[in-house]
Amino acid sequence: MNQLPVLDIRLSFRRGGVHMDDHKVTAAMPIERFLPKEVVLPLSQHIGPEATAIVKRKDTVTRGMLIGAEETLGAPVHASVNGTVKSVIRRPHPTLTEASAIVIETNAEATDPQFEEDPEWRRLSQEEMLTRIAKAGIVGLGGASFPTHRKLRLPPGVRIDTLIINGAECEPYLTSDHRLMLERTEDLVKGACLIGRIVDARQIIIGIEDNKADAAAMLQKTIDDFSDTMPRPWVRVCKTRYPQGSEKQLVEALANRVIPSGKLPMHVGCLVQNVATAIACYRAIRFREPLMDRVVTVSGKGIRTPKNLLVPIGTLISDIVLHCGGMTDDACMVIAGGPMMGRALSRLDVPVIKGTGGLLFFTEDQIEHEMYGPCISCGRCLDVCPLGLEPNQISLYTEAGLALETLPFGTRDCFECGSCAYVCPAKRPLTQFIQIAKSALMRKTALGIAVRPGGPHG
Amino acid sequence: MGERRLLLQPGPHLHDTLSTREIMWWVSASIAPAFLFSLWVFGLQVLWLIISGIAGALAGEYLVNKGRGQHPTLKDGSAVLTGLLLVGTLSPGLPLWMPAIGSFAGIIFAKMLFGGLGFNVFNPALVGRAFLMACFPLSMTTTWIAPRTAGIPDAVTQATPLALVKLQGIEHAFTTLGVNASYYTKLFLGLRSGSIGEISVLLILLGAFVLVWKKIIKLTIPLSVIAGLLAVSFFSGIPLFHLLTGGLWFGAFYMATDYVTAPLMPRGQIIFGFCIGVLTGVIRIYGGYPEGICYAILILNTLTPALNHWFRPVRPTWEGAPS
Ligand code: SF4
Ligand code: SF4
Repeated sequence: MNQLPVLDIRLSFRRGGVHMDDHKVTAAMPIERFLPKEVVLPLSQHIGPEATAIVKRKDTVTRGMLIGAEETLGAPVHASVNGTVKSVIRRPHPTLTEASAIVIETNAEATDPQFEEDPEWRRLSQEEMLTRIAKAGIVGLGGASFPTHRKLRLPPGVRIDTLIINGAECEPYLTSDHRLMLERTEDLVKGACLIGRIVDARQIIIGIEDNKADAAAMLQKTIDDFSDTMPRPWVRVCKTRYPQGSEKQLVEALANRVIPSGKLPMHVGCLVQNVATAIACYRAIRFREPLMDRVVTVSGKGIRTPKNLLVPIGTLISDIVLHCGGMTDDACMVIAGGPMMGRALSRLDVPVIKGTGGLLFFTEDQIEHEMYGPCISCGRCLDVCPLGLEPNQISLYTEAGLALETLPFGTRDCFECGSCAYVCPAKRPLTQFIQIAKSALMRKTALGIAVRPGGPHG
Repeated sequence: MGERRLLLQPGPHLHDTLSTREIMWWVSASIAPAFLFSLWVFGLQVLWLIISGIAGALAGEYLVNKGRGQHPTLKDGSAVLTGLLLVGTLSPGLPLWMPAIGSFAGIIFAKMLFGGLGFNVFNPALVGRAFLMACFPLSMTTTWIAPRTAGIPDAVTQATPLALVKLQGIEHAFTTLGVNASYYTKLFLGLRSGSIGEISVLLILLGAFVLVWKKIIKLTIPLSVIAGLLAVSFFSGIPLFHLLTGGLWFGAFYMATDYVTAPLMPRGQIIFGFCIGVLTGVIRIYGGYPEGICYAILILNTLTPALNHWFRPVRPTWEGAPS
C-alpha cells in the first residue's frame, strides 16, 4: 500500500452523495495503443458551432493535420491518423444521432510526424498559450466537451485564485484518468502549472479520490521532485463518494466553497479542469501538438477483455469491440461514458469522440428490467442529492403532467448526476423525469407523457 | 459481428439493489421474532389471526386492482405488511375472522381509495384497527389472554396493564399487577398480556435494530415519539410504566416510521414524532381510551403534508450579487 500524501482528513462535499461499488477492474491495466483501419471524425465533437471540413475525398492527410477549421467559439478537428480521406459525409454520431464527418483510411506504414518542442515554451504569454490550446482543438475531456480555451478565457471582472485539477474520476468502472495520472504524471503536473499561469491561480489543487492512492502518491512524488514549479500544486485526497468529480462538489470538497444555484465555479474564484485536459494543454503549449488521441476505458461484464485503450479520436466502437475480443453472448447494452451519466448507444458504428471517456458493456443481468413503482416517500433521493433538490416532487409533478410547476423543487439546478435514481427503491427514473421537466420548462409547454412503460397507475 | 439488439435506457445505468419490495419484506421479517414470541406465549391462535389479517389485506388490494383494471400490486409486499402490522395491534383472543375484516377495510379505505401505495394519507394498518375498534369495541377490548409463564396458555382473560390502570387507578392497578422491579423486566421481555406485536419490547428493539442497520428506518421519528411520551408521562408519575406498556415501541418503530405517511425531512420528523408521543400520553392519561398511540399516529398523519411543505431541503443561495 502506497503512503497517502494527505493522511488525516479525506475531504468530501457537504451533503448527499452515494457510495457504490467502484468496479474499477481495469485500474491496474496499463494503457495500450490501438490503431484502427479507419477513423470517422465528426466535425462537431464539442459544445459550439460545427467545424468546417477543409479537406476533400482522396486528399492525403498526416496525423495532426488540421482538417476541420473552427477557431472562435468551437474547436477545430485534426486528423488523428496518417492516411487518405475516404469521404466527407453524414455519419451516425454517438450523441447527435447523425452529423457530418470526415472518414480517413489509415495508412499503417506511414511514420507519425514529430511535433517539435518550442524552446520558448516556458516564456509564452497567457494569450499565446490560449491560442495554442484553441488551435489544438482541446475540449473538456471529462465529458463536458466544452472548448477549453473558452473556459479559460475568463469574462472581465472574474478572478480565479484556485485551479482545481479533477482527478476524482468518481464514476464506477472508469479508470482512464487514473491510468493517465500514473503514466503521464509529469505531463499532468506541468499542464496543471501552465493552466495555473493562464488564469493567474494562486493555488493549484489536484483532487483525487482515495481509491486511487497510488496515483496520489505518484503525483506527490513528482511534485516534490520538481523544485522550480511555482505555485506548487497540492495533492489532496477526497473520499470515494459519487459525485465527487462533479465540478460543484469538487470545489466544495477542495476549496470549501459552496456554489449557489445558477452559478459556476468561477463565481467563487475556482476553475476546474480534468486530468486528461491538463495533459492535452501541456502537449499543445510545449509541442503545438493538437488533440488526436484519447484514453478510453473499455470495461463491463459484457466485453471479453477489458482494457484501457489509447485510441485515435474517431476510432469506431465496433473496431474497439473486435480488438477487445468481442462482446459476450449476454451483453445487451453499450454505454458511452460512465454508468451513471453516460448514455446507452443504439449502434456500434459510431466513433469515439473527444469526450468519450469510457465504453461499458452491460449484460442482461445488470439491467433493471422492472417497471417502476409509485414513490413511497422514503426520502432516499432527498438524502443523496448533493444539491438539496427534490427529485421525488419533480417526478410526481411531471408524472401528473405538471412539469411546469416543478421550478421550486430545483429542476433547473439538477446536473443529472443520477444519484437520486440510483438509490430510489421504487426504481423511478428520476433523472429522466427531471430531463422532461427541464425541457418542458424550456419550451414552456405542458407535457404529460409516460417515460418508461409501467407504473401501476400508468 | 452479427446483428445484435442493443438495449436503450436512460441513465443512470446502475441501481442500488434495495427495492420497494425488499424493504417491505425486510420490515415484515424484522417483526417476525416478536410475532413468533406471541405465538409461543399465546398459542396457535395467533398464527390463524396472522393468516387472517394477511388474507384480508391481499383480498382488498386484489379486488381494487381488478375493479380498476390496474396491474396487480400484490407482489410489492406492502399489503402483506399492512396485514401483519394490523394483527400486531390486536389482542390474541379475537375471533379469527376479525383481522381479515380489519385489514380488508384498512387497505380499501385508507390505501386503495386514495390511489394505492404511496398516495395514502393514513397508515392503513391503523385505520384497520380503528375500524375494528369502532365496529367491535367489545371484542377489541375484552379478549386479552394472560401470558403463559409455564405450561399451556391460560384462556382466562386478563386486561392489559394500561387498561387496568385506567379502570382501577394507578395504586389499585399496581397492587393487582404486583408491580415491582421484576414486573418491569417481565414487561420488557414480553411475559404479559397485550397485543400480538407489542408485548416484547426486547424483540421489537431487535427488529428495529435490523431495520436501522439495513438503513431502512432512521431513529429520528421513534426517538421523538418516545421523548414526547416521556415528557407527558412525567406528570402521571409512572413514566417507566408508560414507557414499557401499550404498544409504544411497536407504534414508534413500525407504525410512525411508515414512509408514506410520515414527513420526509428531519425537522418535520422530530415534530411529527414528538407530537405523537405527547398525544399518546394525553390520550392515555386524560382521554377515554387506555391506549393512545394508534389514534395519535392517525391524527398526526394528517399533519404530514403540511410538515413536508414547511420543512423542505434548504439550498444555498447567493448572498450579495444579483442572480
Ligand atoms: S440527478 Fe439531479 S436531482 Fe438527482 S441527485 Fe443528481 S442533482 Fe440531485
Ligand atoms: S427515492 Fe424514490 S421512492 Fe424514495 S422518496 Fe425519492 S422518489 Fe420516492
